[in-house]
Amino acid sequence: MSNTPVSRARTASSTRRPPSLDSILRSALVGLFVILMLVFILGPLLWLGVRAFAGSWTFPNLLPDDWTLRWWQVVFNDGALSIAVQNSLFFAPLTVLVSAVICLPAAYAFARFDFPGRRLFLISLFATNAFPKMGLFVTLAALFYALNLMNSVLGILVVHVLGTVVFMTWIPAAAFAAVPRNLEEAARDAGASKLRVFASVTLPMALPGIIVAAVMSFLASFDEAQGTYLVGAPDFMTMPTQMYSLVLNYPTQVAAVFSILLAIPSVALMLAAHKHILGGQLAEGFQIK
Amino acid sequence: MTSTLPKPAERQQTVPPARARRPKRLGQRGVGFFMALPPILLIALFVGFPIVLAFGFSIGLNGGLNHTIATIGQNVHESEGWWGTLAAYQEMFSNQRFLGDLLVTVIVTLVSTITVLFLALGIGLYLKLKGGRMARLLSGLAIVPLFIPVVIASWAILTFYSGTGFLRSVFAIVGLDFPVWAFTMVAVIIGSVWTSLPFAVLMVSSGLQSVPNAMIEAARDAGAGSLRTIVSVIIPMAAVPIIIATTFTAIGIVGSFTVPYFTGPNSPNMLGVDMSNYFSSFNQPQQSAVMAFTVFVIASGIAALYVWANFRSAKEQGKV
Repeated sequence: MSNTPVSRARTASSTRRPPSLDSILRSALVGLFVILMLVFILGPLLWLGVRAFAGSWTFPNLLPDDWTLRWWQVVFNDGALSIAVQNSLFFAPLTVLVSAVICLPAAYAFARFDFPGRRLFLISLFATNAFPKMGLFVTLAALFYALNLMNSVLGILVVHVLGTVVFMTWIPAAAFAAVPRNLEEAARDAGASKLRVFASVTLPMALPGIIVAAVMSFLASFDEAQGTYLVGAPDFMTMPTQMYSLVLNYPTQVAAVFSILLAIPSVALMLAAHKHILGGQLAEGFQIK
Repeated sequence: MTSTLPKPAERQQTVPPARARRPKRLGQRGVGFFMALPPILLIALFVGFPIVLAFGFSIGLNGGLNHTIATIGQNVHESEGWWGTLAAYQEMFSNQRFLGDLLVTVIVTLVSTITVLFLALGIGLYLKLKGGRMARLLSGLAIVPLFIPVVIASWAILTFYSGTGFLRSVFAIVGLDFPVWAFTMVAVIIGSVWTSLPFAVLMVSSGLQSVPNAMIEAARDAGAGSLRTIVSVIIPMAAVPIIIATTFTAIGIVGSFTVPYFTGPNSPNMLGVDMSNYFSSFNQPQQSAVMAFTVFVIASGIAALYVWANFRSAKEQGKV
């Protein structure tokens, strides 16, 4: 798989002069690096994925002895596991919604208004990332005990929304800032109301950034495990927190099936938004201006 | 995407006439301030305030909102006055297990961050200077971990490097013995690199892409070799995104929990795991808070670098 591009690249460069030993060596090194990266990145995922369909497996064979769909039935018939799926699908969209309501107006303000403390505000949002997550949850616990938020939907929601604030503010702020002002002013001059300008000029142009922020927030909530476990367990188990007990209490194959289920929304959303993420919306948001 | 054109946000701030044309400037500033307030208040209430509270708890101020947790917890030190006591810090910093874990945390963070940075730079430079299908394949590959929840990634990495894992199987087939990396710090480093790679690659390659090609060609025309061009032209011009990538990677790893919890040994392990153990299993929340502040001191040192880099770039663009 990785051989053809190497040789093709080499023939492309050798149309002018015969390939030198140096360039062959370089291509070989690149090829080796790509193979190592393939094993490093994809290896663990494939190795786990195969397990979801494996019956018994003898070391050191590279494939299982027999194949089965038994583990999928185990997962679908287990009440606790399907409740975890439901909880995850409840918290993630709610988190995105709450986070958007809180953060998107702020993102617009950061991009369009110059007010006292703007830069300080932007950077102080970063505190959520600078303080170690586990430490943050440990410190939150004291407050949650006092406010009676332990083992409550609101408590979990707070933990999840906290993890999305940076995405939901920084990325849309960069996207709003990138909308050219003169386009908005032209629309104003043509007689459009402020709201109309925002709805039909600013918002559509900033939408890719907002989508990336929403996707990242959804996934942040969907993947959040430490805080949910500390605040919600055992009353509210989501899919990632269920993974913790799954790994200890069930056969490896069940955890593998659950992993695939847990990865489906992430992969689907990422594929849908990957063009914008690779297009720089994410990177753009993390440079404070 | 990140072109060489000045970004609209910058233009808007450096052109004064816009200011003159807007009579309602003061009102707008107020509106902006209040629109920006909700996330700040959220952070102040659920990050800033708890941190202050927990710092009080860590120095033995157990009254007020700390009362509940101080009652539930065991081995709690209490201060005799408002000035606090360093007893909990003294206890932890003479605790061999904690010191070992602190060392391990620092080493894992350093090794993983440097590895991630080198991989991201390598991939980013290859994409910038060579391009082509191979480069796109590499950068696409490096983004894959972004798609995978960390819990799954950790579990997958554990099984891959376990006693019956892929590498051991391959080596056993050809009759060689490969070390078991599961439940060792090697697996923690591998997991940390794996999960941190996408963000670093996105940040670094976006920064490298925005270095104008004309600059690179000019350096080459002046007789600079590839290495010289990279070291003295490309990397300095992309310094800010590279520093951002480095700091976010390091901060993410220093406080990480899931990767070391799944793939690491029982002891010594990283402070994130230790913190959770002291809090939940040993029921010693005060000691756990001391660890949180230790990690915080390290992380804020790294964060200062990030803030400095951002201000430097703002200064270069003449905004501060």
